[in-house]
Amino acid sequence: MDILIYLLILLAGAFLGSKDQLKLPLMNRTSEAQTFALLFLLFIMGVKIGIDKEIIYSFSRIGLQGFLLALSSVIFSVLGVKMISNRVLRVKEGQVEDDN
Amino acid sequence: MTIRILLAVVLGIAVGFFAFPAFLVPHMGLMINIGLWLLLFFVGIDIGRQKDILEKIKKMGVKVLLVPMMIGVGSIVGTMLMGLIIKMPLKEAGAIGAGFGWYTLSAIELSKHSAELGTLAFVTNVSREVIALVTIPLIAKYIGKVESIAPAGATAMDTTLPIISRATDGTVAIISFITGVALSTMVPILVPLIMSL
Repeated sequence: MDILIYLLILLAGAFLGSKDQLKLPLMNRTSEAQTFALLFLLFIMGVKIGIDKEIIYSFSRIGLQGFLLALSSVIFSVLGVKMISNRVLRVKEGQVEDDN
Repeated sequence: MTIRILLAVVLGIAVGFFAFPAFLVPHMGLMINIGLWLLLFFVGIDIGRQKDILEKIKKMGVKVLLVPMMIGVGSIVGTMLMGLIIKMPLKEAGAIGAGFGWYTLSAIELSKHSAELGTLAFVTNVSREVIALVTIPLIAKYIGKVESIAPAGATAMDTTLPIISRATDGTVAIISFITGVALSTMVPILVPLIMSL
């Protein structure tokens, strides 16, 4: 259900973004607005973690264990993607290079 | 950006722990959702501004799915190897890794086996999300754009997507969304599957 909502919102944004005439009034501000919204969201996500004393207690008990497991899974995910990223992007780099 | 991201999260945790007004607590979910929807809308606008994105994605075809596949394998292998080092059962370590950063679901699923395992899944996957938030801009800059999707795991379609989009470009944002959807779909299947091995 969430996936559907996200997809609809992305599509709505993409549709508006593709309309050239809307570019000037709105687009120049998106970067600033995006940074603000992003930092606010991260702040609230932090609050959600901090407010739950149970989580804080768990972290003090098994935080190191969890952190090490997370770190290792992140490192191996990055290595995994590194192995195939050239293959995935080859088309892009070979045929439609200019991205920005 | 990384420092601002870290500051926002740490400040949030501190405010939540010491000073967040109780009357706002029931509205937290809604606040997060509205923030997220707004950000995803901006990501959509970025995607729409690049006209040739669909063409690029079409040319990549099913190869795009290699990204979630490698993230999935890397995550599980990574936690299993660390499991060996910190001396925990391989199956449990692997199942925690298969949470791919989706901490609520993996924790609920694994708490069916033991409360302790559920808590560790929660802590691990929250840590993964925080590590992702902080490292995505760095990985995008120093290792590679597609590689920056890796730490995000299942959250590549929602909470970390705006960061990936900002640190990379529209094409990678779409790969990220596809990756997040694919990995999120696998969590409820893989976690119980690994535990049943």
